[in-house]
Amino acid sequence: MKIVERNIGESIVIDITGDIDLSSSPDLRKVLLRELKEKRTPRVIVNLAGVRYIDSSGVASLVEGLKASRDTGLRFALVGLSKGAREVLQLSRLIKIFEIHDNEEQALA
Amino acid sequence: MPDANKMAAPAQNPDSDVMISLRDLRVSYGTREILHGINLDVRRAETLVILGGSGSGKSTLLRTLVGLERPSSGEIWLRGKNLATISDKDLDEIRRKLGMSFQSGALFGSMTVGENVGLPLREHTKLEDSTIEIMTRLKLEQVGLGGFEDYYPSELSGGMKKRAAVARALSMDPEILFFDEPSAGLDPIIAAGIDQLILELKQAFHMTIIVVTHELASAFLIADQMVYIDKGVIIAQGTPAEMKANPLPRVRQFFDRVAEPEVEQEMDYLQMLTAEHRRPVRR
Amino acid sequence: MELTAQIGRGVLDGLAYVGALTRLSLQAAYYAFIGPFRGRPLRVERAFSQAMEVGVRALPVLSVITFFIGLILALQGAYELRKFGAIHFVADAVAISMTRELGPLITAIVVIGRSGSAFAAEIGTMKVNEEIDALETMAISPVQFLVTPKFLAMILMLPCLTIWANFMGILGGSLFGVAQADFSFLGYINATVDALFLRDIITGLIKSVMFGMTITAVGCSEGLNTGVGAESVGKSTTAAVVISIFLVVVVDLVFTSLFFFAGKG
Repeated sequence: MKIVERNIGESIVIDITGDIDLSSSPDLRKVLLRELKEKRTPRVIVNLAGVRYIDSSGVASLVEGLKASRDTGLRFALVGLSKGAREVLQLSRLIKIFEIHDNEEQALA
Repeated sequence: MPDANKMAAPAQNPDSDVMISLRDLRVSYGTREILHGINLDVRRAETLVILGGSGSGKSTLLRTLVGLERPSSGEIWLRGKNLATISDKDLDEIRRKLGMSFQSGALFGSMTVGENVGLPLREHTKLEDSTIEIMTRLKLEQVGLGGFEDYYPSELSGGMKKRAAVARALSMDPEILFFDEPSAGLDPIIAAGIDQLILELKQAFHMTIIVVTHELASAFLIADQMVYIDKGVIIAQGTPAEMKANPLPRVRQFFDRVAEPEVEQEMDYLQMLTAEHRRPVRR
Repeated sequence: MELTAQIGRGVLDGLAYVGALTRLSLQAAYYAFIGPFRGRPLRVERAFSQAMEVGVRALPVLSVITFFIGLILALQGAYELRKFGAIHFVADAVAISMTRELGPLITAIVVIGRSGSAFAAEIGTMKVNEEIDALETMAISPVQFLVTPKFLAMILMLPCLTIWANFMGILGGSLFGVAQADFSFLGYINATVDALFLRDIITGLIKSVMFGMTITAVGCSEGLNTGVGAESVGKSTTAAVVISIFLVVVVDLVFTSLFFFAGKG
């Protein structure tokens, strides 16, 4: 899994490529919590377009990010969900809880 | 149609989608051979139901597939490794990608349901406790036990225990899920609920699922492929439709619930009555 | 002919059993002392809760028993010593028999009754309920998960309990000393301290560590070898107690002779 961060104005876009699994999800969690808890970036957008596989530890890390954003009152959005990722979130009944956009532009709007 | 080569010798189609391959698998307890040369292929995202009567060797087959019994000869190919000759370390590596739901549930009584489900994650990963907690709750939600993480297994009903056991089997996001008699000891309505859960998991995660059962209704509901084991050999295999049409008398007997014929040959009977005592193989 | 063959088989079975116990102890020791440096973290909290169970909860019953044993020793010793007008040696007699022999042994027997049997019952029940199989399919070593915490708890707590047992025994002896042998309490304690060498206490403690390993290995191995069905848990528990007592006495004999000959040479 690779993580690239891009600052766009006040916002940050986190591009993730590869597999989010038991070994890589702690890194994702670290980045999310750093942006949302320490740096207090007003808007954090996670771009999952390059993600082939996300397991439940990845989903749990996203949930932790969402929780942190609610606690600090910041915005946290997901974009570029693959069909598989969407299915996984659907199953865990999380699809309605996350702020989900089709692409970055919409999320930044 | 994959049906065409279903009955062909499995060795002839080296299918890249094959998750598990068994080649002439033999398993013995002491000097008694239980499985006499099993050949079988299980494909990715397929649900295989292993049917058979008591003492047919179907449970032994399942135990061998998860590495609880070592074969006396033959091969078990799983994730590119042969379980028959594998080192303990590699076996443990493979087991992290397998989930097993035991007949009794086998939940640890001294731990809460949540601790049970989170145990493999705590033992094998470096995930933070907060992440593990969320994962545990997600798994319990998936099996319909949301909100039960602080209960102890003894406080759950039989069906709930089974569900909790499935949640634990799911905790590491396994590629293959094994069930030993999922509906044994449950009333028909609860048992149907477990069948439904298996179907949901199959659809949701595209997991390879292997179920040992003697419950016919449940078997026909969940199976893509079925094998029927009798006295340690596979005597029939195919899709549920093919199995329903199988003409073999032994299979028909099982499906039509015909009682075991008493003793087939007089000589066998005489031998049985007058045989020497055998020492029990295991204590 | 038949008899010698049977004896031979019995000896071989016994040796194989002791070999299996040794292997189990070595595995448990590996996970306790070497595993943590090879990326297999030790779950200290499990060892801690076992130590509470094995050690702290044994204190009341152990205290009473060893107090009485000390008193009995004093009574028995005084019966003989009195004949030689040497009743003031009763403090020495109690101190040495407690620290060298009875402290460790009585402690071991109390712990067998409380914990050795509980280990066999706990692990045996888990075996019957497929929980041991479940651990294995989750790639969790039952030895690491179940045996190692007990092993650690035992080798830490048995010496501690033994020291306490020695103390209570001496206290029991002092009751007689003060009441019947013209000792003051402090005088009795002083006489005890004068009588003891550090070696007496150390040999007792070495024995107690060995007893701890023996009890853990037997209890856990009987549990892990439980057959099917609830009644086999009962059998394992009984076997664990009987075999533990027997082996503890054997280990005691071996080490006492070792100390005896080492002390001589």
